[in-house]
Amino acid sequence: MAKAEILSIPQRNLWEKIKTFINAELIHILAAILFLLLAIFLLYPILAVLIKSIKSPDGLTLSYYAKFFVKGYYFQSLLNTLMLGFINTVVCLTVGFCMAYLTTRGPLSLRKPLKFIAMMPLIAPPYLFAISLIILFGRNGILTMALGLKWSIYGFSGVVIAQTLAFIPLAYLMIENTLMSLNPNLEESAYDLGASETRIIRTITIPLLAPGILKAGLLVFVMTIAEFGNAAILGGRTPFLAPDTYQMIIGEADFEMGSVLSVILIIPCIIIFFLHSYLLTGKKFTTIGGKPVASEPRKMTPLVKIPFLIISCLAGLVILISFGVVFISSFTRLLGVKNEIVFSHILNFDSNRAIYNSIQVSLIAAFIGAIIGTLLAYVIVRGKFFGRTFIEMVSLSGFALPGTVIGIGYLLAFNTPPIKLTGGIMILALNCVFRFLAVGVEAGISKLHQINIEIEEASADLGANFMTTFYKIVLPIMFPAFIAGFIYTFMTAIVSLSAVVFLVSPGFELAAVKIFDAAAYGEIGIASATTMKLVVIVIFCMVILNYITKKTGFDVSQKKRSVTV
Amino acid sequence: MSSNQSIPMLMLNDIHKFYDRLEVLKGISLDVTKGELVTFVGPSGCGKTTLLRVIGGFTPFDSGEVILDGQRIDHLPPNLRDTRICFQNYALFPHMTVAENISYGLKIKKWKKNKIQERVEELLRLVKLEGLGGRMIDKLSGGQQQRVAVARALSLEPKVLLLDEPLSNLDANLRLTMRGEIRKLQERLKITTIFVTHDQFEAMSISDRIVVMKEGVIQQIGSPIEIYERPENEFIASFVGYVNFLDGVVERVDLRPDMATVSTPVGEINFVPERNFNVGDKVKLVIRPETINMSRSEPANGDNILQGEVEIGMYVGSLAKYTVQVKGERMIIDQTNPRETGIFKENEKIYLTIPKNIHVLRKN
Repeated sequence: MAKAEILSIPQRNLWEKIKTFINAELIHILAAILFLLLAIFLLYPILAVLIKSIKSPDGLTLSYYAKFFVKGYYFQSLLNTLMLGFINTVVCLTVGFCMAYLTTRGPLSLRKPLKFIAMMPLIAPPYLFAISLIILFGRNGILTMALGLKWSIYGFSGVVIAQTLAFIPLAYLMIENTLMSLNPNLEESAYDLGASETRIIRTITIPLLAPGILKAGLLVFVMTIAEFGNAAILGGRTPFLAPDTYQMIIGEADFEMGSVLSVILIIPCIIIFFLHSYLLTGKKFTTIGGKPVASEPRKMTPLVKIPFLIISCLAGLVILISFGVVFISSFTRLLGVKNEIVFSHILNFDSNRAIYNSIQVSLIAAFIGAIIGTLLAYVIVRGKFFGRTFIEMVSLSGFALPGTVIGIGYLLAFNTPPIKLTGGIMILALNCVFRFLAVGVEAGISKLHQINIEIEEASADLGANFMTTFYKIVLPIMFPAFIAGFIYTFMTAIVSLSAVVFLVSPGFELAAVKIFDAAAYGEIGIASATTMKLVVIVIFCMVILNYITKKTGFDVSQKKRSVTV
Repeated sequence: MSSNQSIPMLMLNDIHKFYDRLEVLKGISLDVTKGELVTFVGPSGCGKTTLLRVIGGFTPFDSGEVILDGQRIDHLPPNLRDTRICFQNYALFPHMTVAENISYGLKIKKWKKNKIQERVEELLRLVKLEGLGGRMIDKLSGGQQQRVAVARALSLEPKVLLLDEPLSNLDANLRLTMRGEIRKLQERLKITTIFVTHDQFEAMSISDRIVVMKEGVIQQIGSPIEIYERPENEFIASFVGYVNFLDGVVERVDLRPDMATVSTPVGEINFVPERNFNVGDKVKLVIRPETINMSRSEPANGDNILQGEVEIGMYVGSLAKYTVQVKGERMIIDQTNPRETGIFKENEKIYLTIPKNIHVLRKN
């Protein structure tokens, strides 16, 4: 009896010690686990691509890179990609600026409808525009036939048009944001001192917005050059890096050259990622406090109003037509050729199964993504350990990396033991989790910044340990961010194409890949119908998000903006 | 351009302004003479800033006229008006130097380079910022930014200078200094100026005339003394400083000497009427705390003498503030030289002397 008692004391103490240790160090243990996951599922695949591009059977080599620069075709592909990015950026910024200027300075009656149209492409996968362009200008396109056009949409110009339409909202949103944050008194002061509207735009508005516009430009550039779908569907014989990588891997099984192309594609992305974060912290014009004055609608001079209106309306019209034709095409045998109403595309079994598969994968991805995102946000905001910012950077980097590169990375990294995932559904889900982690993390971080740490300290002060505090205080407060992360991951995952196109196995097709294949084989009806189904799903998600925003007062859309931004 | 003395520099005729269905300016009419400094003052939401923006041309309005130096300007955009505004947040162009800010309007008017330079130097001297022309805006202190904003607004020699709460972003001491400097500058340049503020004391200390506004209506226009000593209604009386109101009925009106008597809850009070009152008029007496005298012994002369009891006494250095109960009425009294008059204790019985030149409002 007595002996047992004596023995039990140190034993309990040891257990207590372990418990205390776990409790005190839990945040560090958590950080370690999360970092391990990031390392395995984000850093390792990228590393695998890098290694593949310089490893030959007899050691390290740069011969594949040499081939890239020697062989005209590859180099041309790089030039095309950069050119595409440049033209796209300029056009998107111009259109975005005109639209944003009108929706923030223009007549009130115009603001809402214009904003609505400018944001419309957000609800569609980017490759919707490739499909609409095929319907209008393809070999059997409506306008091609009606006007007897000789011009082919397949090629550089087609890709430029589709990409521009797809990335207008990004440019618009960012520029609108900066325009709204510009103190209206500045422009009014210039006006007051005698400046005309064109002069105000030239000497005040644009110089002051320059950092913001530059940021938007960098982002549009990166997104454009990394975009896979439009270039793959409409590129025709014009080489671009992202679809070429796909061609290398899937068509020719040339993993070495595929890796080289990937690395080349990453370089501008990384440069811009750093430029972008440098700009974020860098030049910012401070304005002196005082009451914020709402921008009153002002009389715009026709000199500004008319060209801005023409550009905005033209872009808006094309966006509306694109949605329209894809919608009609989903219910038409073959729009422009056989104009009869059919439901076979909508009811197509393969399409519906692909949608079902996509939902399944995206739900898994959303669930895992939201959990990891929330935990990462917590560790990043509340942790006080070395390397915290590095974890933040890595977790946000998935967004900046081209999908094709991550796709190849997963293919290279997880097709052999120790971690063999290829051919399964988990590789698709995990890929989406780590690519789109940024959304959940950012939502979590901004939510946490709203919470005073003293709430947690108060809980600890009342005797709760770390687990209790986390479970009872932190999780409930972060719940809106968790839901936001969940739905955003789901939304982005379900339309994403560039990475999963490398990872789908025969017999388990995803909606995005189905659309891509159907478009490539000329099954425009099926491509349209499947796209429209995705649009409906995305709209549904947005409605839920909107509801949550209203319910919890946590502006999720704002968060999303800061992520895409 | 005739600057005839008889024609006001700025005339506002019956200005109405709606935001949706909310009328924020309800028929504002006002004349401002040349070289005058007029303050718009009132609680937030009274329409003072909107009115200023109407004059500047930034806010379209629904009906009425704005006449500058004899010419209607309400159809003109801000860049074609001879008025210049200085915003509350200064709205200095942060990507330009001080000199570039000041010369922005001059360049638009296509002044010659050397002329511009001369003018900028002159303005910098005027606002005491010599040698700072090359500075960037964010390298200036708040007070210096304020001066640049004023210099920029003055650069084109406007006919009317509009200042929208120019001092509200400065700390208390600087505000006092800048207040004096703006006034001195305005008097030196003889520039017609409209000054918007929510601070009654700022308005009192800087203005030729004060326009008190409330809910889109002008309550009273008058010199600081008129506004303080002869407020036209209760709102104005209590807007500037504290007031003891006493309700009463006129009992007797004498012509020789000119004197009227009012019965109030604290007893009969005699006053020298500023206008005609009739027996039976319901009135409100406006008694400023600093006009009432307190003493321990009954004063000799037979003014309005009341007896009361000190409820709360607060010593604040330059004055002592008392709350005194007089027959169930609570009165606030400031003794401006407490060392002279002595400090009264709580519950002490005291005598109050109320002067005869009381301002009296007629109640409707």
